[in-house]
Amino acid sequence: MRYMQRQSALSPGRAIALVVVMAIVLLTYAVRLFQLQVLDGYLYLRRAEQVAGRSEPVFAERGQIFDRNFDLPIATNRASFALSYVRGDRNNDFSEALLTSIAQLIDRDPAEILERLATTRSGRFDPVEVADGLDLGAVVRIAERAEDFPGVAWYPRPERLYPFGDLFAHVVGYVGQITPQELQVLFNQGYTATSRLGKGGVEQHYDTRLRGSDGRRTFTVDASGRRVADTESMLPPVPGHDLVLTLDRDVQELAARALGERNGSVVVLRPSSGEILALYSYPGFNANDFATRGGSAVFQQLTRDGASPFLNRTIQAVAAPASTFKVVMTAAILGEGLVDPMEEVECRGNFSFGNREFTDWLSTGHGRINMYEALAQSCNVYFWTIGSEYADVDTIISYSAQLGLGSATGVDLPGEVVGLIPSPAWKEARLGERWRGGDTVNMSIGEGYLQVTPLQLANMVAIIVNDGVAYRPHVLREIRDSTTGTVIHATTPEVITRADISPEVFAEVRAAMRGVITEGTARAVITTPSVPVAGKTGTGQIGGSETNWNSWFVAYAPFGEDVPEDERVVVVVMVDASNEWEWWAPKAANLILHGYFNREDYAATVADLRRTPGALWYLES
Amino acid sequence: MRKGTQLRVDVISFAAALVLAILGIMFVYSSGLTSSGQLVSREYVRQIVWVVTGIGMMVAVAFVDPKRIFGIAPALYLGACFVLAITLVIGREVNGARSWIGLGTIGGQPSEFAKVALVVMLAWLYARTPGWAATLRGFGSGFALALVPTALTLLQPDFGTAMVFIPIFLGVALVAGARIEHVLYLLLLIGAVAALVVLPFWAQILNDTPGAIARGAGDPTAMRIAFITLTAIFALSLIGRFVIRRPVFTVSAYLSSILVIALPASVVARRVLQDYQVMRLVVFADPYVDPRGAGWNIIQSMTAVGSGGLFGKGYLGGTHSHYQYLPQQSTDFIFSIMAEELGFIGSLVVYALFAVLIGRALYVGVNARDRFGGYLTAGVAVMIFFHFAVNVGMAIGIMPITGIPLYFLSYGGSALWTAMLAIGLVMAVYHHRYQY
Repeated sequence: MRYMQRQSALSPGRAIALVVVMAIVLLTYAVRLFQLQVLDGYLYLRRAEQVAGRSEPVFAERGQIFDRNFDLPIATNRASFALSYVRGDRNNDFSEALLTSIAQLIDRDPAEILERLATTRSGRFDPVEVADGLDLGAVVRIAERAEDFPGVAWYPRPERLYPFGDLFAHVVGYVGQITPQELQVLFNQGYTATSRLGKGGVEQHYDTRLRGSDGRRTFTVDASGRRVADTESMLPPVPGHDLVLTLDRDVQELAARALGERNGSVVVLRPSSGEILALYSYPGFNANDFATRGGSAVFQQLTRDGASPFLNRTIQAVAAPASTFKVVMTAAILGEGLVDPMEEVECRGNFSFGNREFTDWLSTGHGRINMYEALAQSCNVYFWTIGSEYADVDTIISYSAQLGLGSATGVDLPGEVVGLIPSPAWKEARLGERWRGGDTVNMSIGEGYLQVTPLQLANMVAIIVNDGVAYRPHVLREIRDSTTGTVIHATTPEVITRADISPEVFAEVRAAMRGVITEGTARAVITTPSVPVAGKTGTGQIGGSETNWNSWFVAYAPFGEDVPEDERVVVVVMVDASNEWEWWAPKAANLILHGYFNREDYAATVADLRRTPGALWYLES
Repeated sequence: MRKGTQLRVDVISFAAALVLAILGIMFVYSSGLTSSGQLVSREYVRQIVWVVTGIGMMVAVAFVDPKRIFGIAPALYLGACFVLAITLVIGREVNGARSWIGLGTIGGQPSEFAKVALVVMLAWLYARTPGWAATLRGFGSGFALALVPTALTLLQPDFGTAMVFIPIFLGVALVAGARIEHVLYLLLLIGAVAALVVLPFWAQILNDTPGAIARGAGDPTAMRIAFITLTAIFALSLIGRFVIRRPVFTVSAYLSSILVIALPASVVARRVLQDYQVMRLVVFADPYVDPRGAGWNIIQSMTAVGSGGLFGKGYLGGTHSHYQYLPQQSTDFIFSIMAEELGFIGSLVVYALFAVLIGRALYVGVNARDRFGGYLTAGVAVMIFFHFAVNVGMAIGIMPITGIPLYFLSYGGSALWTAMLAIGLVMAVYHHRYQY
């Protein structure tokens, strides 16, 4: 046996070398461990929490919107669900098969889901909402096969519901996903990529009051995205406030039916406070359609519609005021004493100014006519004469401004446009041309560069009714706490301007406007026996069209000095030139005024007016 | 003989192994818990059985006279190689490698036991003839003995286990008095092959501007030219060595021969390497190249370890591990879960226990009554150390991912028994240190 005995076991030198090598390695490992766990420990801890920690928003209930009756909501919420997807868990993104089967289960278009996945910018571990407005059935179908859909989660997300469909479309607006552009602007106001926000109307203007603040539920998930029990904590959401509007759904409905399917708009407001009772624009949209299957397609189609259904024509569309502007001229004549209102002007149906020839709408002429008759008959020649010989342009501009034209009314709705009172300075700056006498002549009958919104004209009539005081038109009546119902804010009438024109002048203007109804252009159509009306018609030619004109009618009622102030209403109807010409604006106003003062709905109004012989000659039965 | 004045059983090795094994059971249990605190794996029960039986084996081996082990060393080695060989034919596939052999549920991984067999065989080889390790033939014959199980394990293919045999050989050869230039030659050769294999991949996937070597190694024409040039240099050096007899030629022959072998070897190795192995090597350099795929393990393991902090999240309190972010947490990544739950302090205790085991083995070796015992314990020390360095290094992100277990702690009977048997050998050498 060659087993060696006692011949020095290990060379101590080599053994020590081995120990040294191992000790160096061990020490390096200890240093590395120190670096990982002690120096950078907080970093890895955060990463571990980040990887395992998830949170999802708990959406605040959006405040409801009521009309002034405060009984039925005109915007409310319905229980609904949304589906979200977290990309971070997977090695791959949504696969084709997964997408198709999810889309099928929830009855949505796969392209819609893909688009939302692509357009939402977020971190790997942030859930992206890929579908919403789902009913319980859809969610149950997903939940039954949850194991097949890693990374897919669902949560309740109330959907906005507008019980009156398109009736309040423009004034209330709608709610939609926040866009990246909107988020950039609103980021500091607590909006996030998953926020929804009001778009258009009250939903937009009072979004911060309506939205409340979202809560957040945090929990932990394992590597497969399953929730870990007992790790949930919640920051409760704060519900938004309810809004009570000044609108009256009966008046709104009446206005909508009276206008019918004609491109145009109606404003009904109470001059004594500026409260808007009806604000209707046609064509409109039904925001309930956006939240259902194919909603984004509906939306896309509406945005491409040439009739601009999203345009709120009461405040976002301008047109020349046409003959309604003669009211301003009347105020100027009386206020400045330009001519004796009883002095007559000869109207032969045409008018020469310089080398230009103007023709009255009544080419046979009105004959000898004073100011009251001129307003009633809407005689152009009379006002051309005033504009060319008696009024200078600055006076006209001054009266226009004092009656609220050319500046925003400040209504509590987004996107109000200002319109335009043209001036020599404006023309010089914008068109680089000198102001000519012909411009003043044109302006005297509300044509040329003048631009107004229907709401501005309503405000103008209100100023006339109020002897020069303008209250800010508004749609908000109260803000209420949604749980307790306590009134948090109540709108009080706010004076925005006071015209420097004497009350006697306004009284005379009102009398002249009454003449329009009693013996003037509107006599045939303002047939309601229920209330004395004062107003002015207007017909504006658009772009040289011979067949289509804008049809204006501005009015208030009841006429008379001993009427309680807050009983009066101003009605402005505008039917634009895209419709077949039927001179509809005063006809619609007649229906609205009759219905309003008899507290009747449209059908009852029509039936009621038919009982008066000849009153509804223009409405075929 | 000072019989009776000292404990004859090596209490230190026994205690360190026992504590580690118990920690192993605890953390195999912990790794079987899900996030909801549900126990989804009964692995710990089997681990207990293996620990108990393993301790029995360890103690049994401790009382065997090393002389007898010396006597059966060649038989042990040949037996192990034979079983390894038949495993390739009748073995069962586990994790893609035909590495498991047995009947029904009873069986094991012969490659684990082959590690101990190799230690015994090498100790036998170098103890037989004093000074044998210092000769080129002695060094070569030991290397050849190590190559056999290496090759058989590679064929399974189990790259991780295969790479353990050469370090064991180097360790034993070193303490047995092998010449430094021989050891260095082998190390340089391995280093050169590894560099030539890895560098082009790194350059290619990490999108770095490749260095000259990386570019050359990835270009077949350049490789061919380099090979021919180096062969010529080697040939000239040999001529110089034997004709002119200047020492400088010895050095140049030494160095050029390394490259002459490394160049073709790296070409072969790159063909043999699987895609996933390449990715493991790549993500080692930067795990974020593929954070969801090959880099996942490294990132998650480092996150688990790092998030443990100074004092850890407490036993069973680990989150990253219990949320199943760590794959193979009871086997390859057992250290990650320990570090997460025990923290820096606890991890140092684990380090210390291994240091005690390894240091004790070397101490026993130095004080052994004969060379065989000394080489045996040194081999065991190197074997345990290498597993520790590779496995823990992987968990803390300074070693590439290779599936080799952490002795005593990782779940698995073969590895546990192998470790117990190895410590049993140390104890045996200690136990018989005064017997002649």
